[in-house]
Amino acid sequence: MSFNRRDFLKKSGLATLGLTGLSAFGNGKEKGPNEFKKDHEQVFNMNNYAAPPIDLVRIGFIGVGSRGRGHVRRLRSIEGTEIRAICDVDEGALNRMLEDFDEPVDTYTGSDDAWKELCERDDIDLVVNATPWHLHAPICIYAMENGKHTATEIPAAQSLEECWKMVETSERTKKHCVILENVCYGEFELTTLNMARQGYFGELIHGEGAYIHQLMSHNFTRDGYHEMWRFRENATRNGNLYPMHGLGSIAQSMGINYGDQMKYMVSVSSDDFMMKKRTRELAESDSFFEDYVDNEFRGNMNTSIIKTFNGRTIMLQHDVTSPRPYSRIHLLSGTEGIARGYPEEKIANSHDGWLEQEEFDAVMEEYKPEIIKTAGEMARRMGGHGGMDSLMTWRLIDCLRNGIPVEMDVYDAASWSSVIMLSEWSVANEATPIHFPDFTSGSWKTNKPIMDIELERGGTTQFV
Amino acid sequence: MGFVGIGVSSSEDEFAIQNPFKTDYEQVFNMSGYAAPPIETVRVGIIGLGGRGTGTTARLTRIEGVDIKALCDLQQEAAESALERINSEPPLSHSPEIYAGTEDIWMELCERDDIDLVIVNTPWDLHAPMAIYAMEQGKHVVTEVPIATTIDDCWELVKTSERTRQHCMMLSNPCYRDFDMMALGMARDGYFGEIIHAEGAYIHDLRHLNFSKTQYHDMWRLRQNASRNGNLYPTHGLGTICNIMDINCGDQMSYLVSVSSNDFMMGERAKELAAEDPFFEEFVDKEFRGNINSTIIRTHKGRTILLQHDVTSPRPGIRFNLVSGTDGVAQARPSRVAKNHDGWLPEEEFSDLQEQYTPEISKQVGDLARQVGGHGGMDTMMLWRLIDCLRNGIPLDMSVYDGVLWSAMAPLSEWSVANGSKPVAIPDFTSGAWDTNERGMDIELRRGATTNII
Repeated sequence: MSFNRRDFLKKSGLATLGLTGLSAFGNGKEKGPNEFKKDHEQVFNMNNYAAPPIDLVRIGFIGVGSRGRGHVRRLRSIEGTEIRAICDVDEGALNRMLEDFDEPVDTYTGSDDAWKELCERDDIDLVVNATPWHLHAPICIYAMENGKHTATEIPAAQSLEECWKMVETSERTKKHCVILENVCYGEFELTTLNMARQGYFGELIHGEGAYIHQLMSHNFTRDGYHEMWRFRENATRNGNLYPMHGLGSIAQSMGINYGDQMKYMVSVSSDDFMMKKRTRELAESDSFFEDYVDNEFRGNMNTSIIKTFNGRTIMLQHDVTSPRPYSRIHLLSGTEGIARGYPEEKIANSHDGWLEQEEFDAVMEEYKPEIIKTAGEMARRMGGHGGMDSLMTWRLIDCLRNGIPVEMDVYDAASWSSVIMLSEWSVANEATPIHFPDFTSGSWKTNKPIMDIELERGGTTQFV
Repeated sequence: MGFVGIGVSSSEDEFAIQNPFKTDYEQVFNMSGYAAPPIETVRVGIIGLGGRGTGTTARLTRIEGVDIKALCDLQQEAAESALERINSEPPLSHSPEIYAGTEDIWMELCERDDIDLVIVNTPWDLHAPMAIYAMEQGKHVVTEVPIATTIDDCWELVKTSERTRQHCMMLSNPCYRDFDMMALGMARDGYFGEIIHAEGAYIHDLRHLNFSKTQYHDMWRLRQNASRNGNLYPTHGLGTICNIMDINCGDQMSYLVSVSSNDFMMGERAKELAAEDPFFEEFVDKEFRGNINSTIIRTHKGRTILLQHDVTSPRPGIRFNLVSGTDGVAQARPSRVAKNHDGWLPEEEFSDLQEQYTPEISKQVGDLARQVGGHGGMDTMMLWRLIDCLRNGIPLDMSVYDGVLWSAMAPLSEWSVANGSKPVAIPDFTSGAWDTNERGMDIELRRGATTNII
């Protein structure tokens, strides 16, 4: 599988990724840096789309592994929600989830397609999914087709075709398709977004984000991810498989999809120095790993650089094997100042050095957005990666209940996730630059910002 | 070079590494590990006596076995003020002859028959021509960074050094910074396991210097920023990384891609200044270098290097920044080390590592070098080791291949930026010898170390 995928990425990049409109690329000489363009024209602009308000948000939840279980718990702690149905292919996981419930809740399991029945119900407003990566887009698309708003764990899609299909479906059905990028609700991220909007950094020139998180033990554990799905992703693909955590907040600060747009990117992977070696060691005592001893594993460190239409750059990294402390970098650099999230949170506005702690604290306080003031403390108490999960979930429900635009829309879901496939293409083609598809069909030039961190609207929902 | 639009490339395979700097040159003599005959007293001629050259001259007077024979600058007063400085507190007597007043006067300095080493501290464009001419006249030569600004000049330096067997070294002082040498020692000791990735940069807000009318002769540095686009100053961030990865002596760079942001600052500044001072009018409509350039390099052994350049943004500086391997990671500013995902080593353990990996060169001359100074002592340490190697007839710490390769990142990044960030093959200046070359950068002082700091 790995060989085929790579061979195909290198040679054509079209058929397996399932792009329609092949004829547009003619004789094959025109493929390449614009390969993932599509003739789609926006049928309805989902930017700042406000769906009718839903006082009680009836939820169907798909995928209650460890991540999904946490989401369900947090959703239930928010006013105006009701978990109507839960689905998981793994009955054990389903039963563990049900231990939380005193009230009856419908369940779906037993087949790979059980989630479809959940989506088809007519008493659900929102389908949330926390399934393995490859199911995210199919579930979102099917849910929208069945008249549901949908929210998905990251990444939202695993092919450019899926990205486009999500956009098309959302525009046609006028259903929200929200990417649950929790990091966008981190306190430092929210505060620096506010600083960017208030002009603290001057004009933004450059951003950096990363997912540096050693997952060797997680990915190689036989009783971790369902059927070793995450191990297999790393054993068959090469690129930045998980760009959203580093990219989301940077994209919001730069106004990507509303004011600026990503233009092209280049991507380079190192070789794999760790995973094949580990696989071979494990294969000696566990036959599962024997099938993978000759795989070309993902290069351990992937570095990509994105250029935007407004001339800014974004550097993104992905490394889930190296023994080093966690980092999303989260760097924003502008004509008047800089913020950096890792190794520790810092702000500077000159070459002379980072602000002293006292000054730093004062700046953080000054630029603390309303969303943190209103719900930050409660979200921290509810938990989930230090509160960011709760804050995100709270705001999602609050937006739906108030009938106001969601904060991360289908264009964000598609464009942030598209980095995965574009990086794979660039890596397979020796770092050749590749153009981004514009999922907004040009409307980024006039779209208005979302991510209403000052809570100019809504903010009325309570934690219970 | 204009932006070459997608689809108009004439290359055979558009979706692969481009190779515009291909050459047929084959090494005629391997300068890696080359030991020139020992020179007991190193007779020196110095060209370029601005701020940097004058500092170098003053530091040289503190090193045993140096005789400064000649000082050269286009401007008479610059040469004379350097002479005054070395005579103000002379530990040893030097009576250099002064060369000044014409564009070509430096050639006369190179042509003297009583000079062993020419040191070049001129504007960037002149480094390579001067180094080539000095070698042709039978002199060893060292230059400030970068040693060349074009790929052609890089090759000319290599060819000339190989043919004349004269040393040609770039004065890459950050390689002698404490943390850089500590990381190098740790890498060589296997502390990081196999090296996978490293990061370096030249992030240094130089706006006030580059726009100053008195800092750089005829505004040469602003002109560089106003006429080129890429990583113009790659060597400071790259040197230690290449030492750690054994580039040119065990691994080699394969290709790079480079992306520049737009300019958000220099054009604006030029306009502001021109509004009050017509002197700046010539800079008003220039295409200034994109403020931040990010370049990714991949090596033949599958490692990656992230290299950045930003000399305008108001942010704290970065040089060598990070090395990451299968067993650990080190990061600079502040210096820190980790062995796993759990966090950085506590201060105490880090101090132990600092102690353990203090290289012999620091133990022997670190304190004295700090007293003499120059970016915290690293300039003095570098000059001391240069003179010590020449006096002992042992290989220099950095070869001609190092200097040209590190410098070549500038024109290569310019090419990539100008061509819509296409990947570009990196010339192998060692003609394949990298696979078998021996390491340089002898920070443990296995040989030599007989020279005193006075």
